[in-house]
Amino acid sequence: MATVLGEVSSQVLAGQPIPAATLETLWSEASDLVALGMVADEARRKRHGSRTTFVRVAEIPLEAVAHVPIPPAAGEVRLVGTPASPGDAVAAVREAVRRAAGIPVTAFTLAALSRMAGGADALRELVTDLTEAGLAAVAEATVDEHDDLRRDVEAVRDAGAAIARFTIRRWPAGSPVPTLQDVRRLQKTSGVVRSFAPLAREIDHARPTTGYDDVKVVALARLALHDVPSIQVDWRLYGPKLAQVALLFGADDVDGVQADDEAPHGPRRAPLEEILRNIRAAALDPVERDGRRAVREA
Amino acid sequence: MSVHAIAEKVAAGGRVGFDEACLLYREAPTHLLGTLADAIRARRHPERIVTYIIDRNVNYTNVCVARCSFCAFYRHVGSPEGYVLSFEEIFQKIDETIEVGGEQLLLQGGHNPDLPLEWYEDLFRAVKARYPRFRLHALSPPEVVHLSRLAKLPVEAVIDRLITAGLDSIPGGGAEILVDRVRKLLNCYNKATADEWIGVMRAAHRAGLRTTATMMYGTVETPEERLEHMFRVRGLQDETGGFTAFIAWSYQPEHTELSGVEATGVEYLRTLATARIVLDNVDNLQSSWVTQGGKVGQLSLAFGANDMGSVMIEENVVRAAGASYCMDEIEIVTNIENAGFAPRRRNMHYDLLGEPIFRERAIPRRFGLAVAKDAGTALMPDELSGYAARSRSAREQRRAPGRPAQPS
Repeated sequence: MATVLGEVSSQVLAGQPIPAATLETLWSEASDLVALGMVADEARRKRHGSRTTFVRVAEIPLEAVAHVPIPPAAGEVRLVGTPASPGDAVAAVREAVRRAAGIPVTAFTLAALSRMAGGADALRELVTDLTEAGLAAVAEATVDEHDDLRRDVEAVRDAGAAIARFTIRRWPAGSPVPTLQDVRRLQKTSGVVRSFAPLAREIDHARPTTGYDDVKVVALARLALHDVPSIQVDWRLYGPKLAQVALLFGADDVDGVQADDEAPHGPRRAPLEEILRNIRAAALDPVERDGRRAVREA
Repeated sequence: MSVHAIAEKVAAGGRVGFDEACLLYREAPTHLLGTLADAIRARRHPERIVTYIIDRNVNYTNVCVARCSFCAFYRHVGSPEGYVLSFEEIFQKIDETIEVGGEQLLLQGGHNPDLPLEWYEDLFRAVKARYPRFRLHALSPPEVVHLSRLAKLPVEAVIDRLITAGLDSIPGGGAEILVDRVRKLLNCYNKATADEWIGVMRAAHRAGLRTTATMMYGTVETPEERLEHMFRVRGLQDETGGFTAFIAWSYQPEHTELSGVEATGVEYLRTLATARIVLDNVDNLQSSWVTQGGKVGQLSLAFGANDMGSVMIEENVVRAAGASYCMDEIEIVTNIENAGFAPRRRNMHYDLLGEPIFRERAIPRRFGLAVAKDAGTALMPDELSGYAARSRSAREQRRAPGRPAQPS
């Protein structure tokens, strides 16, 4: 295994893609988790150095877009929910943009928009309308929720819009490498994948993933997706401890940091202080960004 | 010396000095610390076994005069929320522990001035009479110091009496950071100084008991003081060889007087790995999943830990300060196997007891830890009236109508 990791390290430093067979070997045989993390960290540092971005997100349920307070500290307003019609989607985005007062607004999953539109042309038109209403990016493309992911992604690209991040709802049983290869091919042909979040969005509480599984899949994603700029972890979904450790296994961006400072259960540090402290404790340099990936001034 | 040179020395099996350990802890990349610690773990435990114990953390009382500022569990003497477990309640907890394959209680509690040494002796004797093979891993060093003061007896005499009554081993709780500057700041200097903690462990080891050592970090101490703690443990281990394991955990700040924030997951892994490097004479390092959660708890196995600690069944102290993680035996075993190790049950001495018990017989799943007192049960059992009380409130309570007079 040490030989394989040595080869991978050389390929990382040379900016070469890691062959699928090598990735499969790493997934199935890498008992030395720390060594795998070290190679993924090399790949991450080659691209980002010690720079670690994070975004404070205000999630707004679709039905509450008119009245839920939007914390001014948010770097991204994210509309969540499934609109009933294209018209509802556009209206909700317009309202969110109006209330966000300049904070970038992202909204919806690409799968939901695709289902609503019913075809590539209609999807392109819908995304064009959403962009004209002020949408900064489609919030999420869940790679395992599409009948034809490439068609849907290309419709967004052709509409001149962006997708904030690619995610996965649930990894298939067995190796994650085939799915990662799909994402790699998608990026090679479309160039739209600017961020991939490899930790599954759907958590099975009866059979939760383990810490090993989580950081291995983060490391594999970093190594497999050599031309995807960012590997992302979700602060809320996986918790600060795992998210922080994932930064040592190839992740470079933290999504879902709470935008307001109120916590219902006892005194906690303000989320901003907490994320800064966690990133620095991992010997990395925090940089706050917004929903358009622009750096926010301190 | 450079980090690189120290790393080479460690990798070659060399022992680090204090300054070298400080440099590693402060400056070595986390991956390097993990690599060094994992290699030591592999040398010391080449069979790739990761152990765990089925036992129960029972806190016999929450009444405490120590008033440590980092503790969210204690209640003042006379508090309406103060409790003492009855012997029957403890027996019931033992029955439940045995039902799920456990064979030991980790029994610790507050420094309750109204529980004399005789109460502990009677409890231990009663447990041993009823459950002859059941083990009592009980009374951390500050509790022994407290009993020594209460009974006006030397520590050695208290330990002897407790062993005679049934004490099997002593848990390493109450160590916090073994540096008196820190202990004064945390208001735990008076419960036991660093020397007193070490002194109790030395006496226990000389009396033939095995003990564990712990470290609660992340309050007011410096990184150097964490290292000083580890070196004190290493020094005593060189002298007696009595520690079976070292367990580090992060301070849990919620609901405490001290407040503050918890150290991060990466700091935990760095601290654990450094402990594995420094404590070259301690066989076993536990993962603290109860403070770090299952995921980072499992990742500990790549950073020097070879033991997943306890299935625990019940926990009150850490939970009072905000941590609420729970893993039953199935989940602990799943995590061990997923990390590529073979799970084995053990006892406090780290003797291997066998394969997971749930593979031998049906064990009900548990998704939450039990608490000390069931709702509706009396906070102070009647049997206390048979014991001398120091505090006025307890003396008055035990003199209440209908209760027998307490011994003078």
